[in-house]
Amino acid sequence: MPPQEEMEQSKELLVNMGPQHPSTHGVLRLMVKLDGEKVTWCEPDIGYLHRCFEKLSEAKTYTMVIPFTDRTDYVSAISNELCYCIGVEKMVGIQVPERAEYIRVMLTEFQRICSHLMAVGAMALDLGAVSPFLYAWRDREYMYSLFERITGGRMLYNYLRFGGVRNELPPGIIGKPTDGAELKDKTIWGFLNYFDNYVIPEWHALITRNRIFEWRTKSIGQIPAKVAVAYGASGPVLRGSGVKWDLRKDAPYSIYDRFEFDIPTGKENGDVFDRYMVRILEMEQSARIVKQTLAWLADNGGEIMGKVPRIIKPPPGEHYQRIEGSRGEVGCWIISDGTANPYRVKWRSPCFVHLELMPVITPGHLIADVVAILGSIDIVLGEVDR
Amino acid sequence: MEQLKERFPDVPFTQLPDGDTAADVPVEQYHDFCQVARDDAGYAHLSCLSGADYKDHLQVVSQVYKMETHMPALVIRVRLPMEDPHVASVTDLWPTANWHEREAYDMYGIVFDNHPRLLRILLPDNWQGGHPLRKDFVDKRPRRPRLVRYRGEATEP
Repeated sequence: MPPQEEMEQSKELLVNMGPQHPSTHGVLRLMVKLDGEKVTWCEPDIGYLHRCFEKLSEAKTYTMVIPFTDRTDYVSAISNELCYCIGVEKMVGIQVPERAEYIRVMLTEFQRICSHLMAVGAMALDLGAVSPFLYAWRDREYMYSLFERITGGRMLYNYLRFGGVRNELPPGIIGKPTDGAELKDKTIWGFLNYFDNYVIPEWHALITRNRIFEWRTKSIGQIPAKVAVAYGASGPVLRGSGVKWDLRKDAPYSIYDRFEFDIPTGKENGDVFDRYMVRILEMEQSARIVKQTLAWLADNGGEIMGKVPRIIKPPPGEHYQRIEGSRGEVGCWIISDGTANPYRVKWRSPCFVHLELMPVITPGHLIADVVAILGSIDIVLGEVDR
Repeated sequence: MEQLKERFPDVPFTQLPDGDTAADVPVEQYHDFCQVARDDAGYAHLSCLSGADYKDHLQVVSQVYKMETHMPALVIRVRLPMEDPHVASVTDLWPTANWHEREAYDMYGIVFDNHPRLLRILLPDNWQGGHPLRKDFVDKRPRRPRLVRYRGEATEP
């Protein structure tokens, strides 16, 4: 049968959830073949936000690449900087002073709360709940103003340097554990108290126990644990499927082995609701880590920058550094040829790997579920395309 | 790790300074090596597979890990010629390699045999400009002139 007739006879409709779409979290093109409303085939097409990060970084010096790393996962910028900085520090052999390590961990966990709020807010928005998205942004604005006072930038910081951080914390930003939970106490402790007393209960009341949310997320997008491991999943996607794997505990970097925190996991066949719940519980654990860092930072001073050579020239060789970013395992593979420019910087982004799961888990679902599944995988296109 | 060293005695294993072990595997033994690494030695998690251009040869590097605490990586490196680089695809062993190999193809021109769908991933599918991350890549897209001299007549304001 000629192809034209075959297409007209076929019952499947090819729908482009095209690069411009309110629910695709960025410029992602999802090609979906539908039989009625059921998805039979789904394939993501990426590359719309490719900004040649890896080629550009070969033309810059090592320090000039730090702002580029911010812009890969722009929702969770500090964790990318941390991955790259730890990688280069290990290659050169730079020691980071303790105070700088504590500041780094504090900011990374604070950024994790920020990033997860965006993730669950965007997921709620995709499923139709508009208000929680704006509540998440209200809280993110509070965090942005704190970040701005510390680093100078609201969303993209360029704050970490090899050997420490760029500047000391401004006085008074840590606050006291008794800081009020109202929005007017603009300190980190103030935010944490506000977060524990208002934000988390609000999310549980509005979304977690919401019947419509449960109907739309439970038993949707189930990923068996074996499939998750085989497809290289990490972060909340892997932990939502019951695999207790967190690089902060299983391959510790920086000073994470000094802190007490739990690793929330979901069920064996993790569905969208499990991944959402893992993010909410992880936010609580991150708040716990931040409190532990603040207790140390308030009492101890110290240098914020170690001994760093004037020009960063790692010895020839290669190093792969992976950390637990907000979306999963962020990896940075750096080859150095002994000059001041990196020879190759490869960014292993968790969202790039998680998008491969879409063709595997979406067939059989309805098209409305595709949006829920995409929201639970939590992609940021800046990281996917680099 | 010991099973790998026994089964492939002529593959050189080097210790990298950060604790990982690198194995430089010849192209013909690559797929078998990866199969033994995954099945017998337990390297279940492929973290990253990428290409590199070393000016006289290309390389495909994979970082594989066991899902156990504090375990260093096994870095599997394959050396490929600059002209017509072909290597076996490990998508059947670690399904996550699918997109990583597509990106290595897109950026370096490394062809992975038996890959289910080897198309360009970050650049448009029909992009003709070559393979950008190669060191000898020249951007051949036409450039717009920076300064255009106006040669016409004066028009009414």
